Formats: sequence, structure tokens, C-alpha cells
Amino acid sequence: MSEARALPQRIVVAGDGPLGVLTAIALRRALPRTEAIVLAIPPDPAAFAERFGTALPFTNRLHDRLGIEEEDLVRQAGASHRLVMRYFGGAGPDWQGAAGYGAAIDPAMKTAFAREWGGGPRNAETAAPPRSLGEVLAAAGRFAPPSGEADAPLAEVDYALRWNVPAYRAHLIGIAQELGVSHERGRATAVRPDGAGGIAALAIEGSGELAADLFIDCSGSGAFLLSALPGTNWVDWRPRFPTSCLAIAAPGPPMVSLEDRATWTPLGWRWEIAGRDGRQALLGVAAGASDEAIAAALGAEPATIVPFAAGRAEASWIGNVIALGTAAAELEPLGGIAQDLAHRQLALLLELLPGRTVDAAERAEFNRRAGLMADRAADWVAAHYAGPAPTSQFPALELSSELFRALDQFTRRGRVPFFEDAPMLVQEFSALLLAIGIPSREGALARAGEQGGEQAARAFGARANTALRAAPPYGEWMNRLLAN
Amino acid sequence: MSERPAPLRVVVLGGGTAGWMSASSLAKLLGPLVTVTLVESEDIGIVGVGEATLPHIRGFVERLGIDEAAFMQATHATYKLGIDFRDFGKIGDSYVHPFGTFGEEAAGVPFHHYWLELQRQGRVEPLGHYSLAVEAALAGKFRPPTTEGLTSTYGYAYQFDATLFGPFLREHGKSLGVERIEGKVVEVRQDPESGDVTALVLESGQELAGDLFLDCSGFRSLLLGQTLSEEWEDWSHWLPTDRAAALPCSHVTDEFLPLTSAIAMPAGWRWRIPLQHRMGNGYVFSSRFLSEDEACAAILGAVDGEPLADPRVLRFRAGRRKASWQKNVIAVGLSSGFLEPLESTSIYLSQMAITYLIELFPLDGRIDPRDREEFNRLVDMEYDRVRDFLILHFHATTRDDSEFWNHVRTMAVPDTLAEKLALWREAGRIEKYSDGLFYDASWIAVYLGQGVWPERHDARAQLPDPAQVQRAMAGLRQAIVSEIAAMPGHREFLTANAQRLAAAP
Repeated sequence: MSEARALPQRIVVAGDGPLGVLTAIALRRALPRTEAIVLAIPPDPAAFAERFGTALPFTNRLHDRLGIEEEDLVRQAGASHRLVMRYFGGAGPDWQGAAGYGAAIDPAMKTAFAREWGGGPRNAETAAPPRSLGEVLAAAGRFAPPSGEADAPLAEVDYALRWNVPAYRAHLIGIAQELGVSHERGRATAVRPDGAGGIAALAIEGSGELAADLFIDCSGSGAFLLSALPGTNWVDWRPRFPTSCLAIAAPGPPMVSLEDRATWTPLGWRWEIAGRDGRQALLGVAAGASDEAIAAALGAEPATIVPFAAGRAEASWIGNVIALGTAAAELEPLGGIAQDLAHRQLALLLELLPGRTVDAAERAEFNRRAGLMADRAADWVAAHYAGPAPTSQFPALELSSELFRALDQFTRRGRVPFFEDAPMLVQEFSALLLAIGIPSREGALARAGEQGGEQAARAFGARANTALRAAPPYGEWMNRLLAN
Repeated sequence: MSERPAPLRVVVLGGGTAGWMSASSLAKLLGPLVTVTLVESEDIGIVGVGEATLPHIRGFVERLGIDEAAFMQATHATYKLGIDFRDFGKIGDSYVHPFGTFGEEAAGVPFHHYWLELQRQGRVEPLGHYSLAVEAALAGKFRPPTTEGLTSTYGYAYQFDATLFGPFLREHGKSLGVERIEGKVVEVRQDPESGDVTALVLESGQELAGDLFLDCSGFRSLLLGQTLSEEWEDWSHWLPTDRAAALPCSHVTDEFLPLTSAIAMPAGWRWRIPLQHRMGNGYVFSSRFLSEDEACAAILGAVDGEPLADPRVLRFRAGRRKASWQKNVIAVGLSSGFLEPLESTSIYLSQMAITYLIELFPLDGRIDPRDREEFNRLVDMEYDRVRDFLILHFHATTRDDSEFWNHVRTMAVPDTLAEKLALWREAGRIEKYSDGLFYDASWIAVYLGQGVWPERHDARAQLPDPAQVQRAMAGLRQAIVSEIAAMPGHREFLTANAQRLAAAP
């Protein structure tokens, strides 16, 4: 007969940035009888998984599940909606293309073949130009979050949020306090091992030992706890990316927009994030760039330049220590992917939440899946450097075998293979590749004319018109909400 | 504008289920890109495996533009909601592996953890009571699922006469433009340099030249196995059954369940599959532990109805070719591999291979080795995952009443399965994947149905008040009971539309 495992008595989350607080909220919601303590760690400028206020649509679902209301984020944390990323220069100076979110951005419904027909449920041919309601709405500047009814005109539009990081953190702290999460401000000075490959307690300056059953490492790139354990190995991703630091401009004027922009520069991708509290510009910078070149590519003097080393922990759960976010994987945050990955790994932890003691098979399963998630997130960023303009600039980058296969299948036959635990849907991946100018040819099904392209285009046009009629101008919607 | 290239000449060898599934699919979905010729011989029988199917087949039938009722009439089909396993974990045990789920997750914790917790406290009914599919199947009720709510928690497949499915598809395939040629292949011509198959020579002297050859020749694997000598990966040490003694018999009652039965036997197991006019039966056994004559006698002794023929013995072995696509030959069906019929996966595996072939079909008249590799990667993954799930059914037992069960109980299992078992035993969790065939509910059904209990389950299952969880479960149970009371009987539903019914033989 199966026994319920003992509940953890206490969990310590190292790191009191947004990710640490969100993790504590998640743990308290899941384990209301377990004490959750968030330990202050000095902010890490390279904690790309939480430093920038945006993620991807998955985060909306996680927030929802954890009782973090989107409307509250709009009211209190400067949140706004991104329907598409628009890419400039991927295949030459005049190139531009937009990529949206969700399964419905596959207008000809090419994925229906595999989905409805069995075998390869999530493989898909996706050669059609990206046409998404998100793109139409962003171009018109019209949007309001869908009501949640299944057949509402905007129901199929998926989106990412952006927010003001200090306000977001403050909002999360408010929720965490209500849930009884406590905050340890003392500095951790030493780690006492538990003799089983994990940690028994932390020594806290001025207040003695802090013991716990589980330790979650949200401390950023230093991986304060994980790196203290024997057996920590780092998988080096640097040969896959040209960039080794991130240049960050001082915030610009406020900007309300339904799209964000990424522009190819000689140094890397410049990413501009619209925000109600100021537009933010970031630039991934290849090694050896001069200050002038950085300023020219960024379009402003950088406020800071933060070095990083792309890679991930071979195992992000060792002993009773689980690393999340930048402590588990470092990668360029392009398009919100680093925070998305952190939130997916947090959700995986909730799925495989241990009891008071850690189970080896469960830990192995976590590491297997967290590793897949991180690898596919890295592929997503690396795909940005696989377009025509980046490859002519940086021709010698390595590709993972999975990304190689995806690019090969996509260019030759418009097909994106499905990969387990990938953060992106095949439709989203396909939309990205098209948006950055990677050419694609049609597969056999499309060539056979099976898909009824004209009919799909007409149906899409009708849906787009309905959506445009249903959606108010975005600024108007925002003002109305804030006025109430 | 470039000229559309000449259609690729596809030659399908074999007119069984896999052959006609392949030929009709290519003709239907890739119409202008291909010409499809199928060669079959009336002198060569077809195995006609797969009397029971999986829900995927519905999409296949629909996509081919076939009317469900016409298909059911032609193949004497009934509906299927799952498989009833008896005597597997130990003699006297039974459980249903449904095409459906058990309960719902709550607070991010899967249903079975709460069930395990209440079970520990003696506050819960058997797991199957919380599955609409299981309860409907056992009650002999059927109605197609809806898209929302409790009645969306299951799917269905068919039980049909597999020897009629190929011929039905033959007529459909011919109407789609497949050219059928009657004849026996006496020689396979190959390009001396590339080794590609260039033509099949028939007994009549006719030569069938082609660009792409689909080997649907069954266990003979004439092209992939014999001509190209593709290596066979033998899995019979894990799946030792290698024979089936099949025996149709008459129905003994008017009502028949929307359910396939798999009943463990001393040297394997036997199936019982209700079709419209007869009951399909067969003893799947291992010839190491039982002779063919003994198996025939055993199946004759086991059936309820009047035998309608003499037992027919089929021979097979478990395993697959190292690669299913080699040079310009793609094996679909038994020529590619075989996994014993315990979970009705045969037709699915053909369908899956056809799906991937269409996704990776040669473009511009050329096979790209990268597409071939991708096809083989996907096909291997599907076979391997089904294999592990099948092995579990035999290995997860306490039976020690025969040499067969002693063997499968004590054998070493593949590492991939050992890891899944460890995760389940230690923590009550299912290894997650999205590609492949069997997901959480299937694994849970077999684990718990065959007495593989986890040592511990999720700590969160003890958080809510047990009385409250018990009430919620009772509410679900009541909803299932009410739903089933309102469902028509299986025969009643089936016969309500006369177009589904075959004429009595």
C-alpha cells in the first residue's frame, strides 16, 4: 500500500528577486503547512531570468494558477500586452517579419494533419506565411484581453506581458506576505552539508543556522547554493552564440505598443521592449566590440554592460537543492525566453514536488526534463543567429543536433519537428524562423494542394475582421481600466 | 514558374491491411505528386491482424473521406472503449485499460495521488469506478463522446474483421486512382550501383518499375528484409509470445460489450473481440512453453460460443528492423516490425509510419537521406515506447503458476522501462512524454490494475480534509453512474443506424 510522503517542514528560497518571491508564493500555495523563507541575496545584474520585465505566454498561465491576477499587474505593476515580436534585418537591411504566439498562428491549419490523424501528434508542416490575429491587431493598435469565453472573437489570440520589475516584485511581495512567507535579510556566510550530497543548513550572519528540508536556488548567475555542492557541472553553450555580454540602455520615454522589436545589428540582436514606464533597449554583444560600435548598435550610450557565459547546470537538482532561473541556465533573454524558462522549471518543480525527503528517481526525472527545457530554450535563442544576416556575420557557430534538424527540415520542407519539453509550439517556432528571414520550401502535403489555402485565407480574413471589430483601440482600453 | 515534376512512381507490395492503408493514403493525400500501383496475389493470404484498434483509426478513416457507417458495415465493426485485462497481475484480478481518464487533477496534483491516499484510509472505491470509459464499457453502454465535461473524458475505437478492412480499402483505393495488379513477385531488380530497388518482376513476366517501394509484404519482408537484408532487432526475450491460435465463434448472447478482452493463459493470453456477427478469439502463446496443438485445444476449450472454423495458427516474432526505411524501400506493417497484439497496436503502427512517410515524403523526385533518418528516428521511438508498455503487462505479475509467467516475471527489462518503473514505485509518478502512444492514464491503469503499487505518493494528497475529498469523489462517481444510466446500450446504439450494420452471414 502506498503511503503519503511526509510534508516538508521548511523550504528556504535563496534569492529575493521576483523569481525567488514567485517561487515562495508557488510553494506556499502548494504546501500551506510548510514554512517558506526567502533569503535575501544581493541582486545579480546577470540574472536575466528576472531582471527584465517580460516573459512569454506560459507565464500568464502560471500567474493565473498562483492567484496573480493579470488585471492587478496592469493596475499596479505597469503591465501591458505584447501580441507580436517584429524582427528587422534578419535577411538584409530591408527585411522585416512578425512572429506571434499560440497554436492558432498557423492559418492554413497545417498542423491539423498530424493532430487529427494520429502519429506524430505535434509534428507539423508549417510553410505558410505567418498570419496571426495578433499581427493584425498589433498593426491596428487594437486589443483587449480575451474574456475567456471559448468562441469569443479574440479567444485565439495569445500574448505575452511586460511589466515594471520593481512594481512587479513589490506586488509579489504583498501576496507572499499575505501567504505567510517570511523574509530572512541576514547574509548567508556558509553552507553546512547534509552528508547526502545536499545541504542541511545555512549559516546566517547574526542569527545562527537556518536549516531546511529543501533549498531552492534563485540566486542568479552565481548559483550560490548549487555551486557549493560537489558534483556540479556546467554545460558550456558558448560555442553556439556569438554574444558574451548584454548592453543595456537607460530607460527611454514611456511607450504603449502591442509589439516589441528586435533588430539585427553587426554586433547582435537589439531588442526594444515597450513599456508604460519607459521603453527598454538591450543589445546582445559579440566579443571584441568597441564602445563606439556598441553605442551605435544600441542607439544610445549603454547604462551598463553585463557579461554572461551561456550554459546550464548539467543537473539543476542536486541533493536537496533545486536551482531555478539563471542559477540553472544562463542565456540571452531575447524575447522573454530566459524568464519563460525559469517559470517553466518552477512549474516542473510544482509537478514533481518532493516530500520532506528527496526521491532519487523523481530528481532524475526533474533533471531530465529541466535539461530538455533548457536545451530547447537555448535552441530558440540560437535560432535567432541562424538567419541569413547573422550567419553571414557569424558563420562558425555550433548548432545542437536538434536545432540542426529543425532548420534542415524547415528550410527544405517547411516542417518543424516536435521536441519534448520545448518551450515553443511548433507553430511559434515556425513563425520565428519565417520572421527572421529563413527561407522555407513547401512539403509534400502543401505541394499536393491538400490544404485548401485559398479557403483558409478567406476564413482568416473573416476572423480578422471580426476580431478588429471586437477589439477597442488598446490605449482606450488601458485608460478605461486604469480609470476604474 | 517551373514545371511540376513528374509524379513519383510508388509501388506498394502487398494487399493486406498495411498495403491498402498505405496505397489509399498516398493516393488521397499526395494525389498529383504520385502514381500508386499496388501488387498483390490472391494466392497469398493476408494475416489480417488487428481485429481491435485504437482511437487513432477514426482520424484515418475520416481523412480518407470514408463514411464511418459505411466503414463499420463493411468491416462488421463494433465500438470499443478499452481492453478488459484478466488474470495478468495474478489469477482472479481484472481491470480495464480505457480509452479515457480517471478523475481529474486538483491543485496541480494528479487524481491518482488522491485516490491512493483515500485508498490507504479505506475510503474509496476501485479506481475504474472513477472513469466513465471503464464504467460504460463494463455496463455495455455506448455513445460517442462530446467535446466538454465528463462526457469528453473518453475516446473510442472499433473492433472489426481485419480480413475485411483491406478489401474495403482496396475498393476505396481504386476509386482514388490506385492501380491494382494481380501477380506474384518472382524477382526484385536493383540498381547495381546504389542498391536501390528499380523494379519488381512478376510471375507473368511483367515488370513494375518504380521510384519508391513500399514493402507491405507482411512477415516475409520481401524487399526490406530479404532483398536489402536490413538487420532484425529481436525482442523475443522480452516479448516471448510467437504464435496465435485464432478461432472465431458465434455469439452466445444478444448483447456484446464495447470492450476487447485479454485473458491471461498459462503460456500467454487469449483475446475475445466482439464483432457484429461473431466473437473473435485467439490464444497468443509462446511456442517455447506450449505446442501449437495444445494451444488449439486450449482455445477450443476456452471459447463460449459455437466454433465457426478450425483454429488457425499464426506465427510471428517480436522485434523490428533496425531501420524501416532503407534506400528507396519503406516497410509499413509487419515487414517493418511486430509487437504482439496485447494492446491492439498493429494498425496504429502502420498508420503512424504512413503519417510520417507523408510528412517526410521525397520532394522533387529525390530521397534525401536526412528525411530517411528522421523517419527512422520517429518510427523507432514509437516502436520502443509501445514495446516498453507491452513488456510491463507481462513483467508486472506475481504469477508463478507456469514456466511462461516465471520467465516474464523474472526477466530483465529494458533500462527505459526500469527507469519508468522506479519512478512509479518510488514516487507514484509517470515519466512524461508527448510523442508516442500511451500517456499517463494508460500507465496508471496497468500499474494499479496489475498490482504494482507505489511505495509513496505525493505529499500534497494529504492536505485537503479526507472527508471533503471523499465527498468530491463520491460526487464524480454519482455523475458517472447517472451518465451511464442515460446512455444507450452498445447494441442499441449500433443498431439504431441500419447503415452501420452488415447483413447477417
